[in-house]
Amino acid sequence: MPTLTKEIVPGLVATGASCRIDEDVAPNFGIGDAVEIRNINPVTHTRLPRYVRGKKGTVERDHGVFAFPDTSAHGKGETPQHVYSVKFSFQELWGEDYADNMFLYIDMFDDYMRASS
Amino acid sequence: MAHDHDHPHNKPLSDTELRVKALESILLEKELIDAEAIDLVVETYETKIGPRNGARVVAKAWTDADYKSRLLENATDAIAELGFSGVQGEDMLVVENTDDVHNIVVCTLCSCYPWPTLGLPPVWYKAAPYRAKVVKDPRGVLDEFGVALPEDTEIRVWDSNAELRYLVLPKRPDGTDDMSEEQLADIVTRDSMIGTGLVSAP
Amino acid sequence: MNGIHDLGGMDGIGPINPEQNEPVFHDDWEKRMFGMFISCFAGGHYNVDEFRHAIERMDPAHYLDTSYYEHWLSSLETLLTEKGVITQEELDERKKHIAMEDA
Repeated sequence: MPTLTKEIVPGLVATGASCRIDEDVAPNFGIGDAVEIRNINPVTHTRLPRYVRGKKGTVERDHGVFAFPDTSAHGKGETPQHVYSVKFSFQELWGEDYADNMFLYIDMFDDYMRASS
Repeated sequence: MAHDHDHPHNKPLSDTELRVKALESILLEKELIDAEAIDLVVETYETKIGPRNGARVVAKAWTDADYKSRLLENATDAIAELGFSGVQGEDMLVVENTDDVHNIVVCTLCSCYPWPTLGLPPVWYKAAPYRAKVVKDPRGVLDEFGVALPEDTEIRVWDSNAELRYLVLPKRPDGTDDMSEEQLADIVTRDSMIGTGLVSAP
Repeated sequence: MNGIHDLGGMDGIGPINPEQNEPVFHDDWEKRMFGMFISCFAGGHYNVDEFRHAIERMDPAHYLDTSYYEHWLSSLETLLTEKGVITQEELDERKKHIAMEDA
């Protein structure tokens, strides 16, 4: 029998499948922390795009604990960790010629970041 | 094989169509999928889930200050109050446009988009040009959409690269004080909730 | 992986060209593809991260040249064959058969 039948569709669509994990994992960073994104270049799945690698930003919000796609895409478990909204200036990302009132916000996992001085 | 001959017979099936039909027919044969369930999924996203949902959220936030603070504080729960929840909207964040700040949403790696409030994303949102450009030249992107903002407006681009999905709460246009929540919902556009458009008074 | 999908900040990709009054689906095959993705996901054949990674592994020129639902098709074919749910031979045979019937 197919798992998805007509009867199940409305419930599935309305519920979805959150990657949030109800586990008490300590955050590595706090709101307002200065962070540096690690320069990693895995050949496997990652949610860390090239354009923020090595860049410095600020933790703006802690979204809570989520499964880590870099491991769960490869059958290596959920590796639950905090995800944060991290803010970067366009000047940091793209250079000093950019206006100082443009910002990029992106969701970063604990494993993508280190503390910045 | 119910769907094998539902196209007008004036041109041969494309390679893509053949691959989709082959896959569907094998999965049906193995009883791994149910054609009626697929029909219902499609119908749901064609008729029930779309940007009208998000427009209702926006109109309520514009007319109900308590709702707006709940929405900005815990978007997932506040959106669920109106009955919108589920796939690709499990964890929501709403970002507010003001006189000084304009927000734009993208998914540079993929095509992540808040389905329960906006429906399935338009082709341009999923395609390479928008995803490549908006994180580096958002004002250039806005220009392509016919939107010009003052130089001193702060621009915030949100890359939904992980599990959060973003909805922009657009600025309520001037001259709409007399409009009802329902009337307001009618003027809220999809693009204004992505951040590539503004809402204008009728 | 440093693949073609990681597009943020690239220049010269072309105009955005938003379509006015765009339909939810442009073709019947897109509808079937969307429904199959949801069905196979519900069936537990893959998680979303595996699905995305299979898209990322597409040939880069083909990735840029095709629509999103074609990316989904490619991902579903890749994952279901890799996981042994179906075989490439089955797909090829069935495709030939359907093309013949259609002619």
